[in-house]
Amino acid sequence: MPLHLLFKSLQRRKVVTALLLIQLAMTFALLLNSILLAQQTRHQLQQPTGLPLQQTLQVQLKPTTNALRQYPALGDLLMRQMAAVRAIPGVEAVAYSNQGPLLQGGNNGNVHDPDREELSKANGVPLYTVSADFFSVLQLPLLAGELPQSEIAVDGSAPSPVVITKSLADKVFDGTPAAGRTVNRGPVAAVVADFYGQRSAGTVNYNSIQVAPLYGVDWGYSLLLRTTPDSTGKVRQALPQVLQQVDSNIEIFYIRTLAEQQQRLYSNEFGLASLLSLLSALMLLVSMISSYSSAYFHTLKHQQEIGIKRALGASKSRIFNELLSENWLTTVLGAMAGVGCALLLNKLLSQVISIPALSWWLPLAACAILLLCVTVATWYPAAIATRVSPATATKTL
Amino acid sequence: MEQLFYYLKVSWFSVKRAPLPYMLTVLILSLGLGVFFSNATFYYRMNSDPLPDKSDKLFFPMMMLVPYQCSDCKPPSVLSYSNVAKLAASDIPSAKAAMYSADGYLRQHATQPPTPVNIRITQRDFFTMFDVPLLHGSVWADDQARDELLLSKASAEKIFGRSDVTGQQLLLDDRLFTVIGVLDEWQMLPKLYDAFGRNYLNAAEDIYLPLESGYDYNYLSNRNSSTFDDADYRKLATDGRTKAIHQLQYWVQLDTPAQQQAYRQFMANLVADEKAAGRHPSAEANQLVMMRDIIRYFGGESGDIKAFAIVTLLFLLVCIFNASHLSLNRYLSNQYEFSLRRALGAKRSQLQLQLLVDMSMMSAFTLGGAAVIAYGSINLMNYLWPSNRLFASWDLQLMLVLAALTLICSYLVTLYPSLRASFGSLNKQLKE
Repeated sequence: MPLHLLFKSLQRRKVVTALLLIQLAMTFALLLNSILLAQQTRHQLQQPTGLPLQQTLQVQLKPTTNALRQYPALGDLLMRQMAAVRAIPGVEAVAYSNQGPLLQGGNNGNVHDPDREELSKANGVPLYTVSADFFSVLQLPLLAGELPQSEIAVDGSAPSPVVITKSLADKVFDGTPAAGRTVNRGPVAAVVADFYGQRSAGTVNYNSIQVAPLYGVDWGYSLLLRTTPDSTGKVRQALPQVLQQVDSNIEIFYIRTLAEQQQRLYSNEFGLASLLSLLSALMLLVSMISSYSSAYFHTLKHQQEIGIKRALGASKSRIFNELLSENWLTTVLGAMAGVGCALLLNKLLSQVISIPALSWWLPLAACAILLLCVTVATWYPAAIATRVSPATATKTL
Repeated sequence: MEQLFYYLKVSWFSVKRAPLPYMLTVLILSLGLGVFFSNATFYYRMNSDPLPDKSDKLFFPMMMLVPYQCSDCKPPSVLSYSNVAKLAASDIPSAKAAMYSADGYLRQHATQPPTPVNIRITQRDFFTMFDVPLLHGSVWADDQARDELLLSKASAEKIFGRSDVTGQQLLLDDRLFTVIGVLDEWQMLPKLYDAFGRNYLNAAEDIYLPLESGYDYNYLSNRNSSTFDDADYRKLATDGRTKAIHQLQYWVQLDTPAQQQAYRQFMANLVADEKAAGRHPSAEANQLVMMRDIIRYFGGESGDIKAFAIVTLLFLLVCIFNASHLSLNRYLSNQYEFSLRRALGAKRSQLQLQLLVDMSMMSAFTLGGAAVIAYGSINLMNYLWPSNRLFASWDLQLMLVLAALTLICSYLVTLYPSLRASFGSLNKQLKE
């Protein structure tokens, strides 16, 4: 059917067409922005963390008595807990840490080269106090220097050596070798590969680690365990009982794999993307109902007209295509208007949340989805239209 | 009344004649309103003022009294003990209280398993400033250190099985404390006195301890804390009182504009004196933030809820357009009947009344559907954003808003179709 005749047909029901166009445009706008947010969340969850996510378990816990929260009773408790956890079948390595990786925020501070403080300062760097096995548990590749083999007190007479990640070393020492030099927190013993520290930090891969005893754990601490690939679930199940047997004066806040920890880190974004996707699906459903209703009503109201066309020689497939074409045209027009709405919505959303700008291919993808939904919705009314007998035309005579 | 029943009967017949389009219209409108209303619940609660009579009189003072130089920095969002002491020297405020929160373990006897508790460590004016209701007992006589605490009603009932427990003794982190008061049911939402870092979403604390005791017993802040010089944050009793360990929120009550102006001047003088003494190198950047602006000041507004508010509004509009579309089709299908009634002598006003009854009936169905969908949607949002859970409750005011919104939307949906049905050309309509 020629385009101008399709336009003419739409013009005959201006109000209905206008309502449909507005809905399609808004649905298109929401669909586009939902895809964008879902993409962004997926990208965030898939960004490299430098950590073995599935095989590493993090136990967050805290002693419930004052004495156990302080050195030396704390040191003894940690040794007993790690020995017991190491004995669980399937545990390959275990370490303590004042905090785990993949957090929103936590214990952090600035790290700089004391000789050029202003130029080299990195703010909000996560500061870890860990046992020597920390690097083995997280499988952090050593890039330069030598990893400390035993715990040295941070506030002892000899300065406790510091291990920093590659990104931090490059920032503080401007790309020159860092091992053997000194930062404000101590001498740099080694540089390890980047891993995801804290989200609130300026750069998530900046991390500073000191192998040292824990003196106080008023905020709790983490036990990090690496397991064999097939035993993570079993180790996880055994952990509460094993730790309670070591000392019952503890509170276990959670036991998670690092993969779950990463998921939680982006739970807000995941929640919003899920809600928007659900809403987009509802909007598509609403648009399908609209398209169905419009096509169905049109078929009922214009049975005589369809009958005349059939009497004049129009084939069933022509009638079918005519009805579908009308809806396709409405959808394309709605999508064109929807691009403007999508840009506006994107601008509005970017004022309250972080959302990427629209790319050129997304409108095409969203238009394809919309066309598919409209086609499905219009199929049945169009099929009904093909059943209108040419004899219906005689009723108009 | 008889006429009304007649109109209702006609409306019901009309629904029964074509139930699917009617149900779709109601469903779509319910969906739009339900989803919009669920998010509006959170938005309304999070932006509500928990102390409408006082929130313009309570202020959080912040100053750049720190041992480092920064020309364009905002002052730290928490204060050190020594800075609070300097601010507390002023008699201008009608009330003032420093505070922070910490974690602890509470038990009645050493043999009992410990109960984890959240502690607000504060001063006596806290209770009057924030209108905290007391059920039993009293607050501390002054701001000195003492082994006395106040319990929330829920904590008292959880530990003792009753609320009147003044004079009873408890072990808090293995130290013996006496209960001197029990609060009545109290939940300040949003918790504006602790607004940094979205803490305002959290529930009120379980127990209340004097500030000086908190420092004496080295209770570390479980929220925002910073150390700006060579201080050991674990030594609150010593370093915490003298060095730049920042962890305190500080609130003052300034009832009149004159008091507020005088306090601003006091802060300016204090910073000037400190600078003159060579203690603090940074330029003045004083802030005196009103309680009702504190979340915005700390940048803690919930972007997700705002974003979803925009989207749900859009969804509601789509649903209104869709329901109008369906409604129009339904009325056009019934056009002949309307025209026949007009031809038989029915007045336009009578037809309009019939349509109003139609609309009311639709509103009733839609309201029910919207409430069910809103309930489900709120549960889904609680699952996806558990931190907002406390803000999910409804009250009569919110329900009335939903009812009014439903009525308006139903009216908008039926407005054009009813006008078209009542005011179109009779001849033309009868021919169709």
